[in-house]
Amino acid sequence: MIRTLAVAALLAFAAPAFAQTENRLTLTFETGAETGAVLVALYDAEAAYEGGQPTRVARVDVAAGQREAVFDLPAGAYGMKAVHDLNGNGKMDVNPFGMPTEPYAFSNNAVGNMGPARWDRARFEVSGATAQTIRIR
Amino acid sequence: MTPTRRTLFMGAAALSGALAAARVLTPDRAYAAQAMTAAADWSLATADVEGDVAPRALTLVHGRAPVGLSGSLYRNGPAKFRRPGGSAQHWFDGDGLIRRWRIEDGQATLAARFADTPKRRQEAEVGAMLMPGFGTVADPRARIGSADDASPANTSVHMVGGKLWALWEAGSPLAMDPETLETEGFVALRHDLKNMPFLAHPRIEPDGRIWNLGLNGRQAMVWRLAANGTLEAAELIALPRASYIHDFSATARHLVIVLQPWVHTRNVMPISAGFEWTPQAGTQVLVIDKSDLSQRRIYELPPFGFFHAGDAWEEADGTIRLDLSAHKDMDFAARGAHEVLNGVPLGQDPAELAMVVLEPGGRGRLERTGVVGEFPRSDPRRAGLARRFSLHTTGERADRPLASAVAVTDWTSGRTRSFDFGPGHVTDEMVYVPKPGGVHEAEAWLIGPTINLAAGVSELHVLDLMQVEDGPVATWRADVALPAAFHGNWA
Repeated sequence: MIRTLAVAALLAFAAPAFAQTENRLTLTFETGAETGAVLVALYDAEAAYEGGQPTRVARVDVAAGQREAVFDLPAGAYGMKAVHDLNGNGKMDVNPFGMPTEPYAFSNNAVGNMGPARWDRARFEVSGATAQTIRIR
Repeated sequence: MTPTRRTLFMGAAALSGALAAARVLTPDRAYAAQAMTAAADWSLATADVEGDVAPRALTLVHGRAPVGLSGSLYRNGPAKFRRPGGSAQHWFDGDGLIRRWRIEDGQATLAARFADTPKRRQEAEVGAMLMPGFGTVADPRARIGSADDASPANTSVHMVGGKLWALWEAGSPLAMDPETLETEGFVALRHDLKNMPFLAHPRIEPDGRIWNLGLNGRQAMVWRLAANGTLEAAELIALPRASYIHDFSATARHLVIVLQPWVHTRNVMPISAGFEWTPQAGTQVLVIDKSDLSQRRIYELPPFGFFHAGDAWEEADGTIRLDLSAHKDMDFAARGAHEVLNGVPLGQDPAELAMVVLEPGGRGRLERTGVVGEFPRSDPRRAGLARRFSLHTTGERADRPLASAVAVTDWTSGRTRSFDFGPGHVTDEMVYVPKPGGVHEAEAWLIGPTINLAAGVSELHVLDLMQVEDGPVATWRADVALPAAFHGNWA
């Protein structure tokens, strides 16, 4: 009985995981510097992207040679924001007038219009194996 | 929150509504229609240049090159305003064309290249002017990640550490090669000070040290650079009001910041529409000790508007003097410079040369001259020190917004001597070039271009400061017409 339950639990846990590998998102970052890390935030809805919480986050250790972030996800629409934390202090540095001084990027390599790229420019579909190469420099 | 350029560029959601409204209201189509009928003879001054101008020899058409005169006049100004899919709506928002007028061995040459900015690349690709500017609303297709992405790099050019820096006022300097005029990239003065504004009017001490401001509403970054462009200090100061500041001045010991009553009050687009003329507030002058930026004094003056000031100086008793071009108001920036772009006469009073006097007791006044004058320049060897002469343009009229004449005003005698090229010319700012070996302030040339409207080409002129009223001692003619430029320097 106990064993059956354990197997069921394992299956219950493993089944979605197995499904998610079918929708694997690979983000490859082309950086302009070899230091620090790229901090990645992934959002699964417009409201979250425009001011809510990310559904997933990742840290790509650029200094250690990493360039990829891989997420296994439910299929659907996503938006991504990334900053290259050049000095590894864990945040996006800004100048005294509040403008970013570290490279940042959005999914689709979208650029905003006097501000961060909005959802309509950054939105992309994850379905099956999905890959984007993001220039962040 | 203080309304600032930052909010404009960092994008509040509310902006998109304002943008849409402003696009509908901005009557560039109406201006264009007016321009068709006006067909001003001076429209070459705001015409488009379609591409870079390869180096070419100029033809000497008058006089001869002065013996010993050798060097280059680098100038910058907007030269591309219109694309099929959309055009800039304000004279200040065209792409910067960097021109090099070189005089060497009695011969003169001209070369010019556009600042190769992210703005220009994006707009060329799309076939439309997209970027927001001083008086232009952003196209929804514009991709803007920082103020530098929107920079036309079109206002002035300085030689710094062996590079040309094409300057705007809301973004970083753009470095270019002085020989090929090739663009190299934006200059970050320090890694943590990327994307900071840097005015197009730095004040250069006689030994080359550079002072400048970067504005953000009621905050200013005070930049201090060594002559080679290395950052020595960057310190934030608070300003008493969010005046439009295009230029400031400095004595040997003090920064002199004129705070006109054209004050940013609204977060709307374009930027120029966010300012309000509030003459009841008067004009303030903020004087700051260069060696301790916390030491400051504010002088209250009657209201006037201005773009350009000369180099200030201090008398023995501490009185500060500062020449500037006083405008009745800032209607030219708010409205006139839209119309100039489309050949429409302004019908407003031109600027008047005036002297700001700040007494050590705390009283300040504006001494008017009655002389029409803009683009004041003087001897760079005497920057911040007592001097006699101001060079400036003159001859603007209500029905002709741009200058046809150049002048030298002698502050000792109060006399202004001028030479009028006539209504067939539009004159640019002219710069002060010391004669080789000359030590007296009067031993100098005025050098600058005009557009010869009848011939449809640009010309380069050299005048003797002591005989400016006699006209050029040498004039060369190009085989192309370049539109009016804003500012430049001799190197």
